[in-house]
Amino acid sequence: MSIMSYNGAAIVAMAGKDCVAIASDRRFGVQAQTVSMDFQKIFPMGERLMVGLAGLATDVQTVSERLRFKMNMYKLREERDIEPVTFMHMISNLLYEKRFGPYFCEPVIAGIDKHGKPFISSTDLIGCPMTPGNFVVAGTCSEQLYGMCEALYVPDLGPEDLFETISQSLLNAQDRDALAGWGAVVHVITKDQVITRTLKSRMD
Amino acid sequence: MAARYDTRTTTFSPEGRLYQVEYAMEAISHAGTCLGILCNDGVILAAEKKVTSKLLEPLSSSEKIYKINENIACSVAGITADANILINDIRLRSQRFLFEYNESIPCEQLVQMICDFKQAYTQFGGLRPFGVSFLYAGWDSHFGLQLYQSDPSGNYGGWKAACIGANHQSAQSILKQEYKDDLSLDDGLSLAVKVLTKTMDSTSLSADKLEFATLTRDGGETKFTYLDNVRIDALIKVQQEKEEAEKKEKERKAKK
Repeated sequence: MSIMSYNGAAIVAMAGKDCVAIASDRRFGVQAQTVSMDFQKIFPMGERLMVGLAGLATDVQTVSERLRFKMNMYKLREERDIEPVTFMHMISNLLYEKRFGPYFCEPVIAGIDKHGKPFISSTDLIGCPMTPGNFVVAGTCSEQLYGMCEALYVPDLGPEDLFETISQSLLNAQDRDALAGWGAVVHVITKDQVITRTLKSRMD
Repeated sequence: MAARYDTRTTTFSPEGRLYQVEYAMEAISHAGTCLGILCNDGVILAAEKKVTSKLLEPLSSSEKIYKINENIACSVAGITADANILINDIRLRSQRFLFEYNESIPCEQLVQMICDFKQAYTQFGGLRPFGVSFLYAGWDSHFGLQLYQSDPSGNYGGWKAACIGANHQSAQSILKQEYKDDLSLDDGLSLAVKVLTKTMDSTSLSADKLEFATLTRDGGETKFTYLDNVRIDALIKVQQEKEEAEKKEKERKAKK
């Protein structure tokens, strides 16, 4: 039994032209038993920034609550929203603090910076950041997600096309994983707004 | 007389007074006035900015009134450096509460926590008390809109209208006469301007010497907004016109 595949998750983020999208599955399960189908794995951290957390569900919740704490303090002190790259460093620092007793969760960050440029990145469970520029994945079906994204992704997609691309990547990957699935939620972030859509998928 | 008993915070005087605490309150009575008014649909915080040199670069959006969390804000009278420490502490405490209970901290609990923290400096450690008084404006789901005041001794009270800082006694007595239960937010704003006009040292009021903020509930969310200078100037103008009209009315009656 691996800790990182105790609950199961599928998270993916993609960058488009002046937009980013982040999507996750909705399953909360305990090994083979599915417990609920509306588990939140993506959390907003500002007007144009979202973080998705894959891994052990209790750590997903604790890390998101700790991030909320830090984000609230940041906003009060700085009187502005945090930049995505700064947020990435903050998560990286939070995770590395627990280097020898880590949080079993892998974050995926998607946002638009103050100049309107898309930003996506992810870190491993002890905070090593990675900013590839096209797409990032995390979860029990990360291999399937890598395959789907590599096949379907093209750069500079508009918000509507990006939505289609990320949805197909996520759905087909999570269908090939027993522990992730039971629906999906997709957020498309542009400079002006965030559009959230819920998808129905194979409910198994 | 007082000299032997006031150098250490933790010592009572023979008359049963804590001189350091009283001296702290004396420091606050030289600071810019702050007043708070509880209305039926919101809480108003108004403050007088003491330092208005045109050479001063504005550090942040506000010098006297601060947001603590989504539901609570406060205004400050006293030593600004002390206030900054306490404001940071209050913000951290409210976030720790949110982290532990996933609920916004109720107002009175937050006020109690910070008052307990301030009280410690009057009883042990040999450190001087914080030279700051606060007015807290907040909302929680248990008691709705509330206004609290705390001082360096660690005492606090819930108020319908309160004033701290310079000339607070005269402001408090005006509020006592003029405050009515069930004021609307607009009535409260006019009352605040009226009290400030009467108690402020400077001869003429203008928006750049004042800070106004309101905390209201709207559709299940708490809204904390600073009033912009245009709005404050408009309020001042209305109040001045009212006073002119009242003065003329008095003169007319006196002539009769």
